[in-house]
Amino acid sequence: MLNNNIEKPSAGSPQRELQWQQRLYETPGGREILGCIQCGTCSASCPLTDQMDHAPRELFALVRDGAMEEVLRSNTPWFCVSCYQCMVRCPREIPVTDIMYALKRMAAEAGIFPKGHKMPGLYKIFNQDVARYGKITGSILMGRYGLRHPVDMASKMGTGLGLLKTRRFDFTPQKMVDPRKIAALLKRKRTHIK
Amino acid sequence: MKYGFYPGCSYKSEAGYKESVEAVCRAIGVELRELPDWNCCGATSMISMDAENAHLLTARIFALASKYGFDAVVTTCNACYTALRKTRKILKADAGLLAVINHQLVAEGLGITLLPKVRHLLEVFYQDIDAAAWTGKSPAGIGDIAVAAYYGCQLTRPWGDVDHPERPQMLDEFIKRLGYTVVDHSARTLCCGASHFFPYQDQCRPLVDKIIAEVRRKGAQVVTTLCPLCQLNLDAGQETRKGPPMPVPYFTQLAGLALGLSPVALGLDKLLNPIDTLLRKIR
Repeated sequence: MLNNNIEKPSAGSPQRELQWQQRLYETPGGREILGCIQCGTCSASCPLTDQMDHAPRELFALVRDGAMEEVLRSNTPWFCVSCYQCMVRCPREIPVTDIMYALKRMAAEAGIFPKGHKMPGLYKIFNQDVARYGKITGSILMGRYGLRHPVDMASKMGTGLGLLKTRRFDFTPQKMVDPRKIAALLKRKRTHIK
Repeated sequence: MKYGFYPGCSYKSEAGYKESVEAVCRAIGVELRELPDWNCCGATSMISMDAENAHLLTARIFALASKYGFDAVVTTCNACYTALRKTRKILKADAGLLAVINHQLVAEGLGITLLPKVRHLLEVFYQDIDAAAWTGKSPAGIGDIAVAAYYGCQLTRPWGDVDHPERPQMLDEFIKRLGYTVVDHSARTLCCGASHFFPYQDQCRPLVDKIIAEVRRKGAQVVTTLCPLCQLNLDAGQETRKGPPMPVPYFTQLAGLALGLSPVALGLDKLLNPIDTLLRKIR
C-alpha cells in the first residue's frame, strides 16, 4: 500500500529489527523516544491501558531495546484511541499518539497485526469507503463491519433500533458529487510521493 | 458573519446536530457556507494506515477553502477539527510537502494558496458573537436545568491553545451565558471510547459509565457535547446502565432552547435518551 521501494524487513532477524527501529526514529518526533525517562505518565493517563499487552511506557522500552518484532505485533498502538492525554502530559514532550500512528502504519506495511484485533479491519473498511465514496456513512460502516463480526452486531441491535426510530439510520451511503476525484487523488499519490 | 463550513460525515444523520446548528445560526445571523463537494477528513482511521493519503484528504479540504475564498474553516466535530489541524501544522512547517500536495491537487484544478484557520463552531459562538446576542432571551425555567459540559478529547488536545487541555472552560462559560445552571465536574475531557466503542463495546462502556456517574454525582440533569461521536457514545452507551438515563443534547440544541426555538426544530426528538421531562421546566 505504501512505496514499494522501501525495504520491508521481515520479523525475526536482529538486523531487520534495527532497520525498523531506525525507521521509527526517522518519523517526525520518533527520536524523542530516546529521551523517555520511563516515568509511566503515559501508561497512567491511557483510558484503555488495561487492554494493552504492553502499556505505552513498556512499549517504548522495547523500542529502545530494538525488540521491534514484539513492538509491531503488540496490540498497544491499535488500542490507542487518539485521546492525546499521554501526549500533553509527557514530561519529555514525546509525541506519543503520533508514534502510535507511526507504529500502526509500520505494522500494516509489514503485514503484522495483533491476532484477532478488530481495529485494522475497521480502519480498512473505513478507508475503503472513503476511497469509494469520498465520505463515510455511520450506519453503512457499522453494517459492513457487522457482517464480519455478527456477535458484535447482535449486541448493537438496541442502538440500531434506536437510530432507526429516530430516523438516523441511512440505508444508502452519502457520496461526493463525483467520488472519482478522491479515488484519483489517493491513487495518484502512490506514483508521486516518495 | 460568513464562514467556510466543513460539516464532516457524521453531521447529517446525527441526533439533531444539523437541525440545531442551522436553526441557531439563522436566529443569530451566522452564515455557514458549506464547502462544495467536500470529502471525509480521514479522522483517526486514514492516518493509522497511510499518512500520505491522510494528508491528501485534509489538504483537499484546505484547497476548497482557498478556491472559495475562506480564510477559516469551521467544523462541528472534534475528530474533523484535529485531523484538519494536524495536517495544517505539518504543511505549515513543510513547504516541500505542501508543494508536492499542491502538485497532486492540480489535476482537479485545486491548490492551497492559503492555509485556512481551523475553528470549532463553539469558538465562533463564544468568541465572535456578541454575548448580548445570547442573553436576555432565555425562556423562564432555563436556569432550573443543571448542565454538565463535556468536551471530549480532540478539541483541546493535543493543542492546548484554544482552551486548557484537561480543564477547559469555554463550553461551561457559553452554557452559563445562555442562562443554564452549570455544574462543576471532573469528567470534562475524559475519553468516551471514540471509534473503539463500536468494536470494543464491553471495554469502552466503563469509560462512558465513569463520565455519566461523575456528572450525575455533581447534580447534572443533562450532559452536553460538541462532537458527534462523543454524543453517540454517551447517548447509546447508557443502554445497560442502571438508573434513569441522562439526556445528551448538543450545545447547539441547548443554545436553541435558550433562544426560544422549538425542541422539534432543534431535532431534540432524535436523542436516544429523551429530554422531554426536562423540557417541561421551560415555560
